[in-house]
Amino acid sequence: MFLVMAAMIISSAVYAGGYQVRLQGNKQTGMGLIGTPMRFGVSSMFYNPGALSFMNGKFGVEAGGSAIFANVIYQAFGSNYTARSNNPMGTPFYFYAAGKLNENITLGMAVYTPYGSAAKWNNNWALKFLIQNISLRAIYYQPTISIKLGDKLGIGIGFIYVSGNVNLTKALNYGSNSYVNLQGSANNYGFNAGLHYKASDKLSFGITYRSKININLKNGNAKFTVPASLSSMIPANNQFNSSLPLPSNLDIGIAYQMNDKLLVAAEFDWVGWGSYDTLSFTFKNNPQILNNKNPRLYKNTFTPRIGLQYVFSDKLTLRAGAFYEITPVNKDYFSPETPSLNTFAYTLGASYKPSKHLSIDLSFLQLFGMKSLMSYTPANVSGYYKSNTVVPGIGISYHF
Amino acid sequence: MKRNIKILFFSALIFLASCQPSLNTYNPTPGSAKFTSYVAVGNSLTAGYESGALFISGQKYSWDNMLATQMKSVGMSAQFKTPYMPTEDGVGVSEGGGTPVFRTKLILGYSKDCTGKTSLGPVPANPNASQAALYKEITTSVASGGPYNNLGIPGIKVTDLFSTKLALRNPFFTRIYNPSFGPVLLNYAKEVNPTFFSLWIGNNDVLGYAASGGVGDFITPMDGPEGVGFTASATAAVKYLASITSGGVVASIPDITSIPYFNTVPYNPIPITSQAQADQLNAAYAQYNGFMKANGLPYRINFHVGANAMVISDPSMPLPDSLSFLKIRQIKSDELVMLEIPGDSLKCAFWGTVKPVPDQYVLTESEISKVQTAIQNYNTVLKNLANQYSLAYVDFYTILKSVEKKGITEDGILFTTKFITGNLFSFDGVHLTPQGNGVVANYFIDAINAKYGSNIPKVVVSEIPGIQFPN
Repeated sequence: MFLVMAAMIISSAVYAGGYQVRLQGNKQTGMGLIGTPMRFGVSSMFYNPGALSFMNGKFGVEAGGSAIFANVIYQAFGSNYTARSNNPMGTPFYFYAAGKLNENITLGMAVYTPYGSAAKWNNNWALKFLIQNISLRAIYYQPTISIKLGDKLGIGIGFIYVSGNVNLTKALNYGSNSYVNLQGSANNYGFNAGLHYKASDKLSFGITYRSKININLKNGNAKFTVPASLSSMIPANNQFNSSLPLPSNLDIGIAYQMNDKLLVAAEFDWVGWGSYDTLSFTFKNNPQILNNKNPRLYKNTFTPRIGLQYVFSDKLTLRAGAFYEITPVNKDYFSPETPSLNTFAYTLGASYKPSKHLSIDLSFLQLFGMKSLMSYTPANVSGYYKSNTVVPGIGISYHF
Repeated sequence: MKRNIKILFFSALIFLASCQPSLNTYNPTPGSAKFTSYVAVGNSLTAGYESGALFISGQKYSWDNMLATQMKSVGMSAQFKTPYMPTEDGVGVSEGGGTPVFRTKLILGYSKDCTGKTSLGPVPANPNASQAALYKEITTSVASGGPYNNLGIPGIKVTDLFSTKLALRNPFFTRIYNPSFGPVLLNYAKEVNPTFFSLWIGNNDVLGYAASGGVGDFITPMDGPEGVGFTASATAAVKYLASITSGGVVASIPDITSIPYFNTVPYNPIPITSQAQADQLNAAYAQYNGFMKANGLPYRINFHVGANAMVISDPSMPLPDSLSFLKIRQIKSDELVMLEIPGDSLKCAFWGTVKPVPDQYVLTESEISKVQTAIQNYNTVLKNLANQYSLAYVDFYTILKSVEKKGITEDGILFTTKFITGNLFSFDGVHLTPQGNGVVANYFIDAINAKYGSNIPKVVVSEIPGIQFPN
């Protein structure tokens, strides 16, 4: 009765729907985040394991990362109250290494961060009882096998081991400086499978499926900072369980080589966000007071992307792309933990090849989260949100 | 060169980080109202009285002071002046009947009861403050700081707005009494050249009666001239305020029998743990039960193992005065017990069992009915006046009914009518918390915006301090 947890929460990102971060290769990022129909070497392990077996050379390594600068603004409905997020820089990264066992079979290892985010709002902002700050990170480790079936068809599958962690803080209404901090980590398994088909010299297709993986937080640390007079009801140190889905993905892409220099590609990404229905927390001590369920009611999303690649010279390749993403978040259950809005984005990219084997890849992504009136009805809050995110990235790849 | 690249790199980072979106979704406008100078007339609720006293931060978080702050963006240019108390502990007057006792505000703290048990509850911020010092603080004139826009005077009834003797009997008015403005509170409103007014009054016209269990004070009658009857007084007040402004808002009176002051102590706070104890009490009341039975009266007193209804004194029972010692009975489950009933007397001095609880701590069925009828009649008058003078109207009667039923949530805070944990009512069980005042301010804003087509921005309730639990 004492603690009415209007909502407790997890996660956030503004650069891809929900808390997904599709920045697993700077070449792909440069052309609208399209990778499924492409043969981009070892980074195919994320985008399409089926394309890995077509990599150039016997060995390949690739590493890189991005810096996410996400700015979100909130304006309360019926008021000129305005708040801005103060997000730390997000830093998704990737690392791939693969080698050909023989002409047809390629083995590889991928490490990447397809889900995550960090959001920070001022401690005394209007929605502090929903969230003050949160960070979510999931690292995927994916040993992969890819098999070439002739010159046209490649299939591949990766086993995914996920290590995820969450850290969030929200204010409690028990006087000044009352808040709860929840920290937990969990591991789980899944897979990533893809098929790549090069129908002709010009036309290629790809299809990739990544399974849904639940981050089941067990015995996470719940630290309640509340006045001492409440400590019998709300113990300072508690443990909690929760679960957060990292949804399944189905990506289908097509690429067409217009001429020697220009390639155009399109991709359709389906994400099973519908599996994110409720965010529940159960506590070990005083569960009858502290347990809570928070509706999320996300919807599946379907994102179309287009991209271009232009080979300017042997050394320089340029890329560009765009996409429009409908947010998976339900507008009546929109929490600033995940301020994901309908988003238009453009991308730019370039690769510089100082040698035949080495490529330095740059990308730049800008996302415009459209102004939207969103509510979190359990807390009876409504307001407008808008976001602007820029993401420069750099990577390096070496195939020999 | 290297340094230039470094500078370039960091400039780029700063550029990227500063790529800020902007929003401009709300345009504050006054609509057809004129908010240049706002005057708030009312009682303790308007004064910012809470947790049993008037004190600085309570006044700061009065709903009308917060409303005035919001009005600044729609053309309020005059300062909204509040007659601040000199201290944060403040001064208040005990709620119930009997001789008024001054006290500092109540805070949450620990106290030990007669059984030696320590528990958390409202305690005076300064238990050692002397009556003389508190009296001095409350009567020290602040008239020179006026004229004031916050004309909320704790304790006043609608009839007091016209009294020429108010400064002699209400120290909260004595503080701001200014001989050049005259002795009548209502006339102080014009001193701030108001263009807009609020009037929220009438609670005390029933509360004084209700909070004393129907013993002290009386319910203001509907009829009678200005200064005596509710209808004439409220009408005159609205008429006057409308005549000196170009618009305003009137608020209705919530059903005060829903507030925590009447709903925190249960009707059956008498625990009996052994049958022997129950038998002993029942034996003592055998004669009483026999008398009632013989005279065809429905009253019986019966104790059992478990939670028992208190024995109360009820002078309204149909017995001759010579038998007044028999005018006692067990309280019914729908009758209300005051928050200020002495807990130690219940626990250790046989109140409710051997000794009947004095009438002043109980609101009986018939008293509840009188109070509720009066409130509904008052509200009919107030609503008609709002219509007649084309004023905004805030229906707190309906709002509190809804809060009582299912609570309301604002900015993630759940407000209910529960004492302390409900976030809405302060430690006296009658007045609002700072956050509760924020909720109320927003209801005023909604009503004003709807009536005048204005856009007064809402108060962010979560930015207002909540109830402070002690460390």
